[in-house]
Amino acid sequence: MQSTATMSGRSLEDLLQESSSPVEMLRNSQIGPYAFPVVPPEFTNWRDEQRAWQESAVLFDQSHHMTDMYIEGPDALKLLSELGVNSVRNFSVDKAKQFVACNHDGYVIGDAILFHLAEHTFNLVGRPSAHNWVQYQCETGGYDVSIERDERSAARSGPPLRKAYRYQIQGPHAQDLMRKLTDAPVPDIRFFNMDVFSIAGRTVRALRHGMVGQPGWELFGPWEDADAVRDAIVEAGEEFGLRLVGAKAYSTSALESGWIPSPVPAVYSGDALSAYRRWLPAQGYEGTASLGGSFESDDISDYYLTPYDLGYGPMVSFDHDFIGREALEAIADDPPRRKVSLAWNPEDTRRTFGSLFGNSDCAKFIDLPLANYATLPYDKVLCDGAAVGLSTYTGYTHNGRTMLSLGIVDGRYSAPGTEVTVVWGEAGGGSAKPMVERHAQTEIRAIVSPVPYSRVAREEYAEGWRTRQH
Amino acid sequence: MSERSLEEILQTTNPVDLLRDSQIGAYVYPVVPSEYTNWRDEQRAWRDSCVLFDQSHHMVDIYIEGPDALKLVSDTAINTFSNFAVNRAKQYVPCSHDGYVIGDGILFHLEQDRLVFVGRAPCANWIEFHGQTGGYDVAITKDDRSPGNPKGKAVNRISYRFQIQGPNAWELIEKLNGGPVDKLRMFHMAAMNIAGRQVRTLRHGMAGAPGLEIWGPYEEREEIRETIAEAGREFGLAQVGARAYATNTLESGWIPSPLPAVYTGERMKPYREWLTESSYEASGSLGGSFYSDNIEDYYVTPYEIGYGSFVNFDHDFIGREALQKMADQPHRRKVTYAWNADDVGAIFRSMLNPGEPHYKYIDLPLSNYASASFDRIVKDGKTVGASMFAGYSYNERAMLSLGIADPDVAIGDEVTLVWGEEGGGSTKTTVEQHEQIEVRAVVSPTPYSQVVRETYAEGWRSRAAR
Repeated sequence: MQSTATMSGRSLEDLLQESSSPVEMLRNSQIGPYAFPVVPPEFTNWRDEQRAWQESAVLFDQSHHMTDMYIEGPDALKLLSELGVNSVRNFSVDKAKQFVACNHDGYVIGDAILFHLAEHTFNLVGRPSAHNWVQYQCETGGYDVSIERDERSAARSGPPLRKAYRYQIQGPHAQDLMRKLTDAPVPDIRFFNMDVFSIAGRTVRALRHGMVGQPGWELFGPWEDADAVRDAIVEAGEEFGLRLVGAKAYSTSALESGWIPSPVPAVYSGDALSAYRRWLPAQGYEGTASLGGSFESDDISDYYLTPYDLGYGPMVSFDHDFIGREALEAIADDPPRRKVSLAWNPEDTRRTFGSLFGNSDCAKFIDLPLANYATLPYDKVLCDGAAVGLSTYTGYTHNGRTMLSLGIVDGRYSAPGTEVTVVWGEAGGGSAKPMVERHAQTEIRAIVSPVPYSRVAREEYAEGWRTRQH
Repeated sequence: MSERSLEEILQTTNPVDLLRDSQIGAYVYPVVPSEYTNWRDEQRAWRDSCVLFDQSHHMVDIYIEGPDALKLVSDTAINTFSNFAVNRAKQYVPCSHDGYVIGDGILFHLEQDRLVFVGRAPCANWIEFHGQTGGYDVAITKDDRSPGNPKGKAVNRISYRFQIQGPNAWELIEKLNGGPVDKLRMFHMAAMNIAGRQVRTLRHGMAGAPGLEIWGPYEEREEIRETIAEAGREFGLAQVGARAYATNTLESGWIPSPLPAVYTGERMKPYREWLTESSYEASGSLGGSFYSDNIEDYYVTPYEIGYGSFVNFDHDFIGREALQKMADQPHRRKVTYAWNADDVGAIFRSMLNPGEPHYKYIDLPLSNYASASFDRIVKDGKTVGASMFAGYSYNERAMLSLGIADPDVAIGDEVTLVWGEEGGGSTKTTVEQHEQIEVRAVVSPTPYSQVVRETYAEGWRSRAAR
């Protein structure tokens, strides 16, 4: 299965040739909302669904919104090592990694979870920008590797048939629930290691995960087992206050844990990637994604982010050769920017909501709980009127009772407690994106806060990479 | 194991408790994407340009065929059928024996001896019950609404159902038809051409502009939709998603969700024995600040929700006697409540206060959290009405709700709407823990919008408001 320009005709490069600039093309994309498909928006209500991952237990259904790509063959590890910033030393079977691929200038093309399923066999799971890059390299680089893609449900027609279901059980009662489900003591394995369980008579593979400082599990297995495993979880979870999480609340879990799902893939510029752009289809993620927000530059590379910007610093390992290594080595000792949480000022937030009832122009609508209105949200962050960074994923947390965005700010503005300003909404009344009604920009003060935002998570999420940015 | 009947459930449970603690979840407008573009612009389009509503999924269709079809509906409706030829439609309103509304919806006279009712479940169930048990020579075919969570499985209906509405609607309709289309009277039916197919039409309208409802075989829906969407581009057509769709009634003034008056009364007992535990009546939810342990306090009469002009004693029908007694009494009447913006702002603000009370979340643009909503309206410390359907109108830049008010409440009065449920909230899955808050509101006409009030003259909605 291929998703290449050679099959579909037009390429990303063709599309860019017809546009005045990549920024213009992406800012006026007609793709509409970034969908979390198939899963209903709410099972109960998103406030209680958010609360459950903090207070009891949740079931996330991740079976539909991510692309899976199976990478198999004697050169698979070599391929991944040459593309990823991550070290593959000690990357044995039954381990997983937050795989991060960069372009030659050290800017992130994409990141995804990489599962080492079996000898020479991997699965890459996430937004498809990393997948596309790996597939391209595989097809053009002479690797002895075969690739099989299983597209996200939103990118397919017909009924949602996936190769694998993917669930997460998270929250303070996740361990108790796992014990009950597997009818056995839960093995004490480390974060991002895998094991095999039996649930409802089905063999289930499980990745040790965690959230809000509590161990959790990602479960996956063949699609035909999806309903049986899910039903068993729901039934066993009742006594633990398990809530099924709908698409609305799910999309905000990244806000609290501090993962930025939406960097602009660093592929739109530079001669080094022109062959890749001719390979990428016009209708893929890169060609159709929408870019939104108050951060504006004519130069698309101003939107690119480094692994350090995104908090992946601890994963960058110079123990191997990989694309982008030199550029990253040059900034490794003192990366200029830091990932932070931005807690929005309540009064400014209220005023922004309040504009819905006024006689003057409305501010850009803040949808709740996820307020993004583009595939790639980029808002400008100011301090004393000067641009000091970006705000890139925005929503509301009922647990923190605050509007929150994930920001990337210059190092000297990254201290918790620093007051900055997020510019909310687009310039000139707004771009032509379908999600954008005519509106006026407004400024919202915000307090720089730690990542992950939740105090509990910050203290207890110790084994995760998210807390070890630098 | 056969399902319990509603009557069996009510042997041990007060209907108010049953419905207020229903676990059914949100009243979903299924299958249609939540937004095609964004709900603000989708709302704006029905005022400024034109819209395509996809009504193919959220209503029950029930076909009534046979020599007694008209008799069945006439026996159960407050409406007259003296003027109901083929190709006419009606807002069908059945009442209980005590003269309280069971529901309402549109009844189409498709052919001789063949009708279809389209609307919420309570009327459809009532029709089906009488069709099965009333000794009528009819065949009933029920085509249920689409599932709220299809889990990705294919959905099938007998018909698609679209509306083309808004100030540019008629130009679009004539372009699609390839020539002039007669502007028949409201609720008259005809046919037109779209994409080389003949489709049936119901003359409709919105915000004073003529529009059409169209329907045909479900298999043709995408072809028809694409043709309309393509042709509509030059007229600024917006396809309306599920979020905006349900709010159109806030501006036009129809109350979609009266509580079916079926839970009490000896003469309604056979019906309750027929209704199953999974029916809308037994599983649906009741929410809001108006609380009474007497379910009858939630019932409404046709006069109260704007259907007084439909009540016609030219025929015998269920509830006739009770309505004859009510007819000359003072009635509560349908109004729009326009919410105070500062008080709404305070509710949003409460979401941003860690550790302090917060109020029931106001979902936008549709704010209902139950199948049937009842919020208490207070004036001078006294309950003087109820708010029954709430949401936000971008066209009016206001939170609005439709409801009923006592006869002595005047348009322009300031009242208080109590938002949220008592005691921290019921156990409905849509209800998070919250506290109640008072929201000031101005009693306003129905339909609310000045545009609609002044130009929707031929419709019953404005007649009822006068």
